[in-house]
Amino acid sequence: MAPLNENVDVVVIGGGVVGCALFRRFTLMGARTLLLEKGGDILSGASKANSAILHTGFDAPTGSLELQCMQAGYREYLAVHQQMNLPLLKTGAMVVAWDQAQLEALPGIVQQAHDNGVSDVALISTQELYQREPNLAAGALGGVVIPGEYVIDPWSAPLAYVTQAVMHGGAWQFNCEVREVQAEENGWLLTTSKGRVRTRLVINCAGNHGDLIDGMWRTPEYEIRPRKGQFLVYDKACATQINAIILPVPTPTTKGVLLCRTIFGNVILGPTAEEQQDRNRADVDETVMRELIEKGRRMLPTLTNYPVTATYAGLRPATEKKEYRIYDYPENNWISVGGIRSTGLTAALGIAAHVETLYRNRFTQRFPLHPPAELRWPQMPMLSDYQPRDYTCPGNGGIVCHCELVTRRELEAAFDSAVPPECIGGLRRRTRVMMGRCNGFFCSNHVADIIGDRLDNTLVVGKVK
Amino acid sequence: MNARYPVIIIGAGPAGLAAARALFDAGVKNVLLLEREAEAGGVPRHCRHPTFGIQTFYRPMNGDRWAARIRQRIEHHYEIRTNTTVVSLNPGGVLEISSDRGLETLYAERIIIATGVRETPRHARLVSGLRPQGVLTAGALQQFIYLRKLKPGNCPVIVGSELVSFSAIWTLRNAGIRAVALIDENLRPTAFKLSTLYARLMGVEVHLGAHITRINGTERVESIAFRDAAGQERVMACDSLIFTGRFTGEYTLIRTSHLLHEADSGRPIFDQYGCCSDPAYYAVGNMTHPADMGDQCYQEGLRIGRFVAESLRAEASTSFQVPVILHEVFKIAAPNVVRCDTGSQASLTLNVRVNRYHHGEIRVMDRQKILYRKRHRCLPERRILLRGIDISALTADSQLTITI
Repeated sequence: MAPLNENVDVVVIGGGVVGCALFRRFTLMGARTLLLEKGGDILSGASKANSAILHTGFDAPTGSLELQCMQAGYREYLAVHQQMNLPLLKTGAMVVAWDQAQLEALPGIVQQAHDNGVSDVALISTQELYQREPNLAAGALGGVVIPGEYVIDPWSAPLAYVTQAVMHGGAWQFNCEVREVQAEENGWLLTTSKGRVRTRLVINCAGNHGDLIDGMWRTPEYEIRPRKGQFLVYDKACATQINAIILPVPTPTTKGVLLCRTIFGNVILGPTAEEQQDRNRADVDETVMRELIEKGRRMLPTLTNYPVTATYAGLRPATEKKEYRIYDYPENNWISVGGIRSTGLTAALGIAAHVETLYRNRFTQRFPLHPPAELRWPQMPMLSDYQPRDYTCPGNGGIVCHCELVTRRELEAAFDSAVPPECIGGLRRRTRVMMGRCNGFFCSNHVADIIGDRLDNTLVVGKVK
Repeated sequence: MNARYPVIIIGAGPAGLAAARALFDAGVKNVLLLEREAEAGGVPRHCRHPTFGIQTFYRPMNGDRWAARIRQRIEHHYEIRTNTTVVSLNPGGVLEISSDRGLETLYAERIIIATGVRETPRHARLVSGLRPQGVLTAGALQQFIYLRKLKPGNCPVIVGSELVSFSAIWTLRNAGIRAVALIDENLRPTAFKLSTLYARLMGVEVHLGAHITRINGTERVESIAFRDAAGQERVMACDSLIFTGRFTGEYTLIRTSHLLHEADSGRPIFDQYGCCSDPAYYAVGNMTHPADMGDQCYQEGLRIGRFVAESLRAEASTSFQVPVILHEVFKIAAPNVVRCDTGSQASLTLNVRVNRYHHGEIRVMDRQKILYRKRHRCLPERRILLRGIDISALTADSQLTITI
């Protein structure tokens, strides 16, 4: 097997949002880093499918590590997003009570938010609720507003973290699966599908496979029990129908089904919460999707006027306990970051800061830290529907994908970027090409032409003779 | 560049090109056509079957030849800006467009919207399963094969039994690919009964009354699971899946504009002259009644083009509008409002679609008064014309109801 020819300080296993944030953090601390991702691009697993909300943490368990990481992540995202050209849409959120029992639960939600330091959360009257959301179904009894909830781009944010790391010397490999880990005197020898690599520290961010990676050398301290969430994406015209993120009153088992605008101008409805064994398979199901539509319609009757643009399902790396499962093993040069469920997108930067603290407290002397004298910031392509996009600028090469207004220049730029995608899914997430209402009716042939032989698995299987 | 035009046409497919031709014949100068594809001609460019041309050139032609012919009737007379996308419609005939030059604003006295149709793809149909590569529409298939000479799969399954579904078999055959099967929810083919015989002659299994229960495959389609008409669960190996038909108008621009439209579909409100709620805007072609034949759209485009030319000459007379109301068996009517004014034609043709099979009388009523009655045999997705409806006695209080 060809060697990966790497000898590094830190290997981060898994290019999900948490892995991307840790890769950035340790690179900026001054470590020589390597990110290993089994898929053809970052975000190939759990992180590719979420509700793309930057949460305040108003409803997280008070005093938990999850809350701490969410709030630190939230603050850091707000602090860095402009430097990276990452979008932010301030929608706010609203918990709506539809029956008496739910109405009685609202003061408790406000109290918990205040306990969590989110002091602007407040009860609103039914009248104010309908002033804010005139298209909501009749019959709502009351609500709670959370002004600080935002919608963000769930894909370009982690890509920005990775890009910044690469700009400071971080290395990465896609389509690279870790198959074996072997302890050495001063670190680890990892065997991957692309060769071997020696490292002083391993940070396991393998998401739905986290316990299996830990299990390669010890009895894991947690067991992944994937929880599936199905979502529906509605046509952009639907975005006029709501303003805030519309949340139900949570139950002990689930946060429930929400309605939310996306940064790309759509509306999403979901997720479901379904336990399953399979760590890879995220089916959508017609019956479940029809039930979801019915739930959505009961909140927003006009929803059914709009066609569904896309359907997707994600697997959240839940474990047998509710909390984050972060374990450090200083004797073994290993940190395991597991059980990061639906709040990972918000918490990622905060988790990275927490892991840095763990490292500084218990792992110093593993490798020298020489942070870069000056930080450089990547400028990410702007994909938000609420900001000027490339199609408005000259020299864009023309629009290739009409539903999502993706230009030829944007597609070329993805391949010419610091960290190019190595699969179609990655290209879609980075540009939004073929993500629109026609599912590629008009653009897929142009996209196949632009991709050429740059990717192995592509849209076509060959040429017509 | 002159950003002001008497008429701008959005979409240089059959309807748009025909409207342009009618404007040219009426002596209107300096009309601009906007086309988002690299070449004018619309969907027929990638339809290589001889179902075009009879009404326009009195002989059958393949779609690409026909598209070239109707394009030639315009391109020497008017500018066609290709690779140009309209991104918004604004009151009074103001357009925002995007191209390699970036954003521009254009103005016109009249704007004709001829944006055509697309098929309903996998996601909008809420099909169960995974989301691998190799799931496409018949339109995408035609473009891969005819415009790019690329094969999207080696053993595809076709979903649907409309005319376009059988055209997909033909398209595949021209690329040396045999479809594994054709599968549809309906027990009878939507196209015509003999069409399944054609599929079988081409070596394609036909499963009617079948429901897809799962798409399998992580990177690329590996198989589909379906429940057949007898209720049996079956699995069929394939490497691609082609969703055909269930055409829907390209209403994207209208839904986000100031123009009145049907809330549940996005179809504009327009009268028998194609005129929308803002009199600067006209709608024509398949966008208003998915999906008629190319020639039919061309003929309609000529008609609407003449109306637009007239509207540029004449001051609008006082008129009133009468809504068209549908019995539940009907899905759409084109037009969906009727304009009545002095000098307007007394005879109206309505183009309707049904939601389900109907064989029997169709009546058009002005309240209690019968304006039209005739027996029709109606199938979903097919054009049904109600011709010669007498609208001379309509008043401002009238309402037209189409019923059975």
